Amino acid sequence: MLLKRRFPLVWLVVLLSTAGCFFEPREAAAPATGTSVPYFDKISSANVWANLEKSLAATHAPGWEDNISQNAFIYIPDTDAETQFPGVFVGWDRAREVAFINNFYNSDVTITAQMVDDDFVIPPDTGTEIEWENVIYDVTVTSNADNSVTRYRGSAIITFRLEGNFWYIYQWRDQQGESDPTTGQLLPTMGVLRGTFASK
Amino acid sequence: MLLLLLLPPGALAQSDPNERAAETDTLAAEPAAGLGAALSEAMNRSGQMQDGAEIRTSVAGPFFSGLKNTPKAGAKANVRQNTYYGELVTNVLMRSSSSFTNTAKWSYDQYRKQDKNVERRSDNFNYSLGTLLPVIVRLDGQWNWSRDKTTNTAGFDNLFAQDNKSLRLGGTKIKARTGAFTNSVHFGASIDDNQTENQGTANDLTEGSIDGGLQTGWNIRPGLVLAGRIYGTRTSGNKTLGLQNSPSSSTGDTLGVGVYYKQGAADGRAAVTRANFQKKYLDFRKNSSGLIDTVGVAEDLKIVGELETRDALKVEFENNFHWNRLSFTSKLSRTSDDLDYATSGLGLKERLQDQMELGTGFRVGADSVFVGYDFLWKWDDQRLQGATSNRGRQYNKSRDLEFNWLRTLFRDTRLHLRYHQGLSQDIAQFEHNQNDKDRLQSDFSAKVDRLWQGTFRTKMVYVYRQIQDLSIRDTRSSNNNIKDTYEITPSYTWYVSKWLTWDQSYRVNIQFTDYIYSDLESVSREDNYNKRGNLTTKVTLRPTTRLELIFRHDYNQKFNATKSGSNPDGSVFYRRDLNQTISKLDMGMVFKVIRGVVLEAATYRTRDDRETFGRVTAETTDLSGEIWVGTRVDRTWNRTMTLSALVKKYNAFGPSVTKTSADYWEADVWLSWEF
Repeated sequence: MLLKRRFPLVWLVVLLSTAGCFFEPREAAAPATGTSVPYFDKISSANVWANLEKSLAATHAPGWEDNISQNAFIYIPDTDAETQFPGVFVGWDRAREVAFINNFYNSDVTITAQMVDDDFVIPPDTGTEIEWENVIYDVTVTSNADNSVTRYRGSAIITFRLEGNFWYIYQWRDQQGESDPTTGQLLPTMGVLRGTFASK
Repeated sequence: MLLLLLLPPGALAQSDPNERAAETDTLAAEPAAGLGAALSEAMNRSGQMQDGAEIRTSVAGPFFSGLKNTPKAGAKANVRQNTYYGELVTNVLMRSSSSFTNTAKWSYDQYRKQDKNVERRSDNFNYSLGTLLPVIVRLDGQWNWSRDKTTNTAGFDNLFAQDNKSLRLGGTKIKARTGAFTNSVHFGASIDDNQTENQGTANDLTEGSIDGGLQTGWNIRPGLVLAGRIYGTRTSGNKTLGLQNSPSSSTGDTLGVGVYYKQGAADGRAAVTRANFQKKYLDFRKNSSGLIDTVGVAEDLKIVGELETRDALKVEFENNFHWNRLSFTSKLSRTSDDLDYATSGLGLKERLQDQMELGTGFRVGADSVFVGYDFLWKWDDQRLQGATSNRGRQYNKSRDLEFNWLRTLFRDTRLHLRYHQGLSQDIAQFEHNQNDKDRLQSDFSAKVDRLWQGTFRTKMVYVYRQIQDLSIRDTRSSNNNIKDTYEITPSYTWYVSKWLTWDQSYRVNIQFTDYIYSDLESVSREDNYNKRGNLTTKVTLRPTTRLELIFRHDYNQKFNATKSGSNPDGSVFYRRDLNQTISKLDMGMVFKVIRGVVLEAATYRTRDDRETFGRVTAETTDLSGEIWVGTRVDRTWNRTMTLSALVKKYNAFGPSVTKTSADYWEADVWLSWEF
């Protein structure tokens, strides 16, 4: 009976006294000079999209993770990627996206990226959700292991949402691969990149 | 088994000692029940087969017992695409529960936001021998044809065409008993002919395959079963990729053993499964990341002959214990997986994963408690093609601990407390990359809700979350930060009367971001403080049983600020970067005109005021809105013809609304007929 009466109090004490001390992260090294990644604050959709470019250039996974929806990210591939990797994109959510970007960055690559075409007119942020149509991005990946170069250029529809105080990428829908502006060769979308890392 | 397949169905029926019972147990024995009843019975039988019930063979009754055709035609539309489609489903029911079903489909998609259209045609059939044989035998055929024409923004036209055909014969015998053993057997053979063209490159495949499996369970004593299974498959054929043609083949097998138990308050299993396969095929040249790497490569080197081998092993243990008000669950597993490519630059990839999930729950008086702990430890390693040593392991380690406590404080009033902490770590052995990082997330939430005499519900939610994002190496640590988020949400719902409900909630969300190295000159990030308040009011009116009206107003006010300085006493100053106020008014209406016909409409209007502070203060006001009107019709005539129609017309305006989103239809209309 005494246990029953005091039970909640006991649990509250246990909970509060142990809160925050179950797991400890490792000690990080202070940043070396010239390694700062100058991300923008996520107070506009344009800043969020630009942050992806910075994350790619620095192969800095926290920058990517910090700019996609913290609650419900969705990736929808184009037909080409979906056909090459059947079943891989079903239920592609934040956890899958985070796993992809970490595997990609960990594979010893150097990346150059331009996440928006020069002609693209960025729509203003109104309300709590906004869609960018026909965003053309261009990502070139150089493998440091074998010096091979692969390039991804696609058009996409990107949906941003205001979550809490900041904008995040809520949905990334690839539409189609775009042509290399120099050679005219049709290039794959980042769906093929995602599919490759998710399927092997 | 071969003997059983070769025996005529009649011979099987005659050899059945319970022939009389079998005759009255067939679908054909009850023609008076009609087609609907026969179909329903067939569904039941199918379920029984899955459950392993004994199906007796019989040939009594007419050969054909039913024929049904269901043509259907329709159209769909939404902001992204318009689709037109048609289909014809034909069902033929025959003696002894055997059946034939054919589904022919056609569709045409027109995309609204890109220059793309897709035409698809397909035909699928399956023929089931029902109870004619003592095993379940099915013949399935498929044909899928499609033409996807896309023109990208540079004007490049691409045709992605597919023409795939397959035929498969499969047989299953479930839960056949031989003494203390229960056996399930599965066997099959298939032929595939796939023709694909993309970017002018052919990718064709012609293959035949056979597969078979056996699962055996030994009931050692009540509540204890030892089970084993073996499965094998072999495929052989020819593959064309581009201008090259080469034989393709694959072999694979799976072997598994498990012990399953249920004794008193405990149940669980321990199982070991081993699987491997080998595939030989033509593929595009790939680099060390597995990405297609053909740019600048000589034509004859773009396509290579690949040999892919995979070996996997999984060991699992699961135990569940439930006694009175106490429960304990545990799940442990280890998985190893080696994937090896003979030609691809990827080379050999090795993986290992250990996983543990523990949980316990119990109730004492008015309290319920649940505690869970999850542990995941995994690594992958790679030996690049031609390399003499491995790259080094990439470790990922995560741990999660969660407490949940529910208590009924007093009548109709409940408290729910939750605490969670999770740590995930990425570690590169030999520092083969610079991406070592830790993420520590801690969450605490408290919720109290009360229902006051069935007419007034109040709720109070408090949430605190802290996320620490820490890159470990000095080349990546400049953005290390700790985010603290506080959220408090009081709300109430007042059920004023049967026709009026009033909801109101207020939410305040505050986030502080502390950049750990913001005091260093080389780091450009500054700590920030962000706040958002959101008041939502919703009124639901049901003046008659046929009319429902919903009015909703959202009022958002937020600001973002960056740290600008601090006092010696520790107080901190912030500089506002942005003030934003969003006011949104929604209205929705549903009116049931007559049975099966509903009118719907909704509209919203948003005003967004922003004040951006910098060298120059900029003020912006945007107005946006949307209205849609539609109807929903569901009618059936003579139980054979059905019309379903959902049609809505959307119009929207605003500075970020594109032409294709400003004016469009959303529809799903179809008509089907059954004869």
